[in-house]
Amino acid sequence: MEARPVQRSGSRELSNLARTSSIPSTPNPSSAPEAAFMRPDHKPLGQQAYHLLSSSNGGSVGHICSSSTSGFSTNLHYSSMVSHEKHYAAASSNNDSSWCNGGFLDFPADHQAVHNSSQIEDGCIGIGAAFDDVQKPNDWQEWADHLITDEDPLLSTNWNDLLIDTSSNSDTKDQKSLQTIPPQPQTVQQQPSPSVSVELRPVSTTSSNSNNKARMRWTPDLHEAFVEAVNSLGGSDRATPKGVLKKMKVEGLTIYHVKSHLQKYRTARYRPEPSESGSPEKKLTPLEHITALDLKGGIGITEALRLQMEVQKQLHEQLEIQRNLQLRIEEQGKYLQMMFEKQNSGLGRGTASTSDSPSKSEQEDNKKTADSEELAPEETRKCQEPESPQPKRVKTDN
Amino acid sequence: MKFGKRIKEQIQESLPEWRGKFLRYKELKNLISSPDPAEFIFIGLLNADIDKFNAFFVEQEEDFIIYHKELQYRIQRLVEKCGDNDDETFREEIDDIRKDIVNFHGEMVLLVNYSNINYTGLAKILKKYDKRRGGALRSPFIQKVLHQPFFKTDLVSRLVREWETTIDAVFPASNAEAERGYERSAAVSSAAAGEGIFRNTVAALVTMREMRRGSSTYSAFSLPPVNLSDPDLVLGRCR
Repeated sequence: MEARPVQRSGSRELSNLARTSSIPSTPNPSSAPEAAFMRPDHKPLGQQAYHLLSSSNGGSVGHICSSSTSGFSTNLHYSSMVSHEKHYAAASSNNDSSWCNGGFLDFPADHQAVHNSSQIEDGCIGIGAAFDDVQKPNDWQEWADHLITDEDPLLSTNWNDLLIDTSSNSDTKDQKSLQTIPPQPQTVQQQPSPSVSVELRPVSTTSSNSNNKARMRWTPDLHEAFVEAVNSLGGSDRATPKGVLKKMKVEGLTIYHVKSHLQKYRTARYRPEPSESGSPEKKLTPLEHITALDLKGGIGITEALRLQMEVQKQLHEQLEIQRNLQLRIEEQGKYLQMMFEKQNSGLGRGTASTSDSPSKSEQEDNKKTADSEELAPEETRKCQEPESPQPKRVKTDN
Repeated sequence: MKFGKRIKEQIQESLPEWRGKFLRYKELKNLISSPDPAEFIFIGLLNADIDKFNAFFVEQEEDFIIYHKELQYRIQRLVEKCGDNDDETFREEIDDIRKDIVNFHGEMVLLVNYSNINYTGLAKILKKYDKRRGGALRSPFIQKVLHQPFFKTDLVSRLVREWETTIDAVFPASNAEAERGYERSAAVSSAAAGEGIFRNTVAALVTMREMRRGSSTYSAFSLPPVNLSDPDLVLGRCR
């Protein structure tokens, strides 16, 4: 989209808007009421799920940890790095799968390529929005209790068992999950043709596995294909997940993905006004305050919006900068560590695996300096490229 | 210590349904401080949080994608309705859409911020862990984190930029107005410091600036101070 010169008149502003944004040519036939400010309700279960695993109920997590020592080899991927492989290899995949799915309910493990040891990268996502129709809120209590009281059973317990109504044989699932196929390469997100624009993780071993409830990452193009399919089937009310799925013809897309997405879509379109739904708090924008201020001769709404926009833009800009810096830093660190390791093995620091050497030397280094980096600080400074960070504590004119 | 406070503030300022989705920094820190922090517990907590980030982020992203389309349709419909008249009858709808665009933009930016804050927290907590345990957990772990879905904010950023471009066409350009606006930014910011996206955004900017001001553990892995184009715009007044 390119920027156009600003017009003053309302309608021209809008037509500019229409031109600059990539609005599809096909208008939406089903005349839905104006989509109110988005933010479809999160499934209450989702909230509870997180609640249990995170934040204040951290206690329960802690519980779990202590009650079952091997319960958390999620770190299987990491353990190989941290030379704890022996520890966890045995406890391996079962826990791996269960933990990774820990937060996520209907996540049959059989297709979890997540458990591939090289693969935290396509992480352990799974909270299908589809799970809302599967669990009742009070099951969570049960679930938590299970986890707290069960000990070794946790090892073999497929968490999904506890979580889903319709769980098949848990052990089998876990077993299957072990025979993972190599992680699916990251598919390009912005591919125009719908056929392969699905970035699925993980990939099912049997592609025809209809139980694949892996979390999917939607893209605008994919969504557009979805909308087209829905429209061709008579609109969001009349379209069925099955029909839409068939129409879309996207490989790897399952009915669960479509179903949950359809649900979101419907909510987004038919959502009542924000003030009517849930806590008004979250819908409050500064404009409500601004209006009052306006009467006192403050700045207008337009200006307030401008300001808000400006602040948001700045934050985004800073975030992008920060992110790039962080990436660079890690890249550099990775490079330096590699060099360091080479040095170490070159010096014949012995039969220990490479991962051991750095940690040993680090311990020494850590004792030497206060710096807690994994690389020998001296080396870091030596190897530093000229343009990389940073002047020491220079106070900028902020 | 500083980051812990910062992230706590961030969480407080964030949109309500987001609050449980952040890194459990304090817990992790406490774990590290405990007499014998078992690595697997630590990693377990980290992984749990990462799962949480991923799920939340991807879901929000999906919502954004849907809303993004809907907003475009709305605009198009309104354009069609307005036709070419300079009719003021549609002023309200235009204002409404404009507000929605700004808020939508804001929420997306906050999601990017969410991703970043959690990533930063992870990096810091890992650093603390290695320091305490003399381990080498940080580097490989962070490498994995870089590939996590929640860290891949490209799509959301792209949408953010698209709307920035779009909305420029919607707001009247006026330098004089803008200047007046800046002068009254104090009034606005205090008024706007209720709930909402604006406040959250400002808090995020402040946090970022503070975190990068210079720390006691400044190292090769630290970030330089924040360089804002218009630092006084809001920050000077909002502190």
